[in-house]
Amino acid sequence: MIPDEWPLSEATTDRLFALASKGLLLTILIWALFPIYWMVFNSFRTRFEIVGGDPSFTETSLHYQNYIDMWSRVDLIEYFMNSLIIASVTTVIALCIACLGGYAFSRYRFPGRRYVGASLIGTQLIPGILILLPMFMLFRTFHDTVGVQLINTYQGIIFVYTTFAVPFAIWMLRGFFDTIPASLEEAARVDGCTRFQALVRIVLPLAAPGIAATGMFVFLVAFNEVLFASVMARGDVTPLSIGMQQFMERDQNYWGEMMAASTVATVPILLLFVLFQKPIVKGLTEGGVKQ
Amino acid sequence: MARAFTRLHERVTDGGIGRYLPLYNRLDEKHQYAYKLLFPALAMMFVVHVIPVVWGATISVMGVNSNYIADWTSAPFVGLEHYAFVMDPTTTIGSRYWYSISRTVLWSVGVLVGTYVLGLTAALLLNQEFKGSFFVRTLLLLPWIAPAIVTLNVWRMMFLSESGIINHALMSVGLIDEPVFWLLGDQALWSMTIAHVWLQFPWVMIMLYAGLQSIPQQLYEAAAIDGAGRWGKFRYVTLPQLKPVSGVVVLLMLLWTMIDFTTPYVMFGGSPPSSVEVTMVYIYNFSFRAFAFGRGAAMSVGLFVVAMVLATIYYRRFIRSDLEEEDQ
Repeated sequence: MIPDEWPLSEATTDRLFALASKGLLLTILIWALFPIYWMVFNSFRTRFEIVGGDPSFTETSLHYQNYIDMWSRVDLIEYFMNSLIIASVTTVIALCIACLGGYAFSRYRFPGRRYVGASLIGTQLIPGILILLPMFMLFRTFHDTVGVQLINTYQGIIFVYTTFAVPFAIWMLRGFFDTIPASLEEAARVDGCTRFQALVRIVLPLAAPGIAATGMFVFLVAFNEVLFASVMARGDVTPLSIGMQQFMERDQNYWGEMMAASTVATVPILLLFVLFQKPIVKGLTEGGVKQ
Repeated sequence: MARAFTRLHERVTDGGIGRYLPLYNRLDEKHQYAYKLLFPALAMMFVVHVIPVVWGATISVMGVNSNYIADWTSAPFVGLEHYAFVMDPTTTIGSRYWYSISRTVLWSVGVLVGTYVLGLTAALLLNQEFKGSFFVRTLLLLPWIAPAIVTLNVWRMMFLSESGIINHALMSVGLIDEPVFWLLGDQALWSMTIAHVWLQFPWVMIMLYAGLQSIPQQLYEAAAIDGAGRWGKFRYVTLPQLKPVSGVVVLLMLLWTMIDFTTPYVMFGGSPPSSVEVTMVYIYNFSFRAFAFGRGAAMSVGLFVVAMVLATIYYRRFIRSDLEEEDQ
């Protein structure tokens, strides 16, 4: 009999392969989760434990003072509320607009569709720094002529963030709408629904996972933006992305308090994610950006 | 919310946007409806993207500085002077500008390679069905879900040279003998790349995973009949099938990194080491500290053109053909 070229039987290689992939997955999991563990862990350590002596993975004195001091060091509550208001309102408005646009883009082969598609991607390559100053001047002109203040107000920064998020949200939602058969709406139209009713009553509920996933994306865009926030969201509307930097001072860095504040800021978002985890993860994996 | 939604829709459809547009009137009713649905998005994009880009390009050919900021229209027209100045590599400003562009490209390519390799690996591993795979998928998404403005500070703390956990870990396993200054000099670019890959790889992973899930099982069966092993299936089925989704993921990852401001700004603040002074940060510091808005605008247009050229080549090559197929 001719001996097998491969010294191991197929069953053995399969088992080795499975073992290797489990190991690799575990490594990636540790790499993904360690910084989050490190944040929570260090929020319970004293200044000395963090910057002095030997760093340790587990040693902590369960020093909860950080969670008390951080509120007085910076106006944390205010910044955090500002960020939440800006990001949630942006998410709601952007989803409304992007649902309409994404639906049109998915269902209708209108003339100029290709150009609309290209311009949706095109907006993604405009450097924020190029439009920052013109936007600032535009807002000031708007204030001088119409009388509505947009600089350093919620409405101004929400307007900007909404527009930043809408093009990609349309692109994402269009992928989800593509997966819903058009025959459902046609049936609804035969039953006497208007086009718009068919969209709201039939299509949107079916696209709920996709909408949840897109909403998460929009929320993160608005929550993490720094450039425009640093110029046109100061004063009363300063968001966390700017306010957080105040834990860093020239001579002293309040790492422990910063980590405590970071933990407090992360928890509600993780809770939100866990709450909507099923639709979001389902939505993200079932459609979205197809091509 | 539902009522506001309906009202928005009515406002748009009853507004008679077509009254003033002859081209629009020539569309049939169905396609007019499509444009009505797209109208709010297109109008906002016009105000926040088109007008400011044109405005920015205008500023770049005018001598706008702090004297003219209140009344920029009276600033003198200087033509392409700013462009010639900021792109002249013999001056300090020009050479730093080119250096920042090279840093941006290096950073973007590093992030692209890192996120794609890591994202694809994770997606392939998740794609083998196993118990608890949904849970693992959720956990792997956390770096992307946790706010970047928070986690980037964690990375900065981990990269500290004296007390950072990364130096400590590397020294205890003997890979380095003395602390590395991760946040200074050339190493800073590595640190920033690693932190940004950590932030973004879940997005690439989940997009590629979605792509993997849509590959028909029959293709693998057919490949197995043809005698393909694991590598053969990956090479001749998985990779080609992933091409459309990879096309978009790669393009967006590249563009988003090139114009990202959050990561360098949160990790290194207002005065970063020169190795991580990417173009976005350089222009920001340059135009808002020196009030040289005209020159800053010229630099921004330069960055925009670099991004546009890259994207156009890429779009023609990978994405447009898919949209054209759909049109037919």
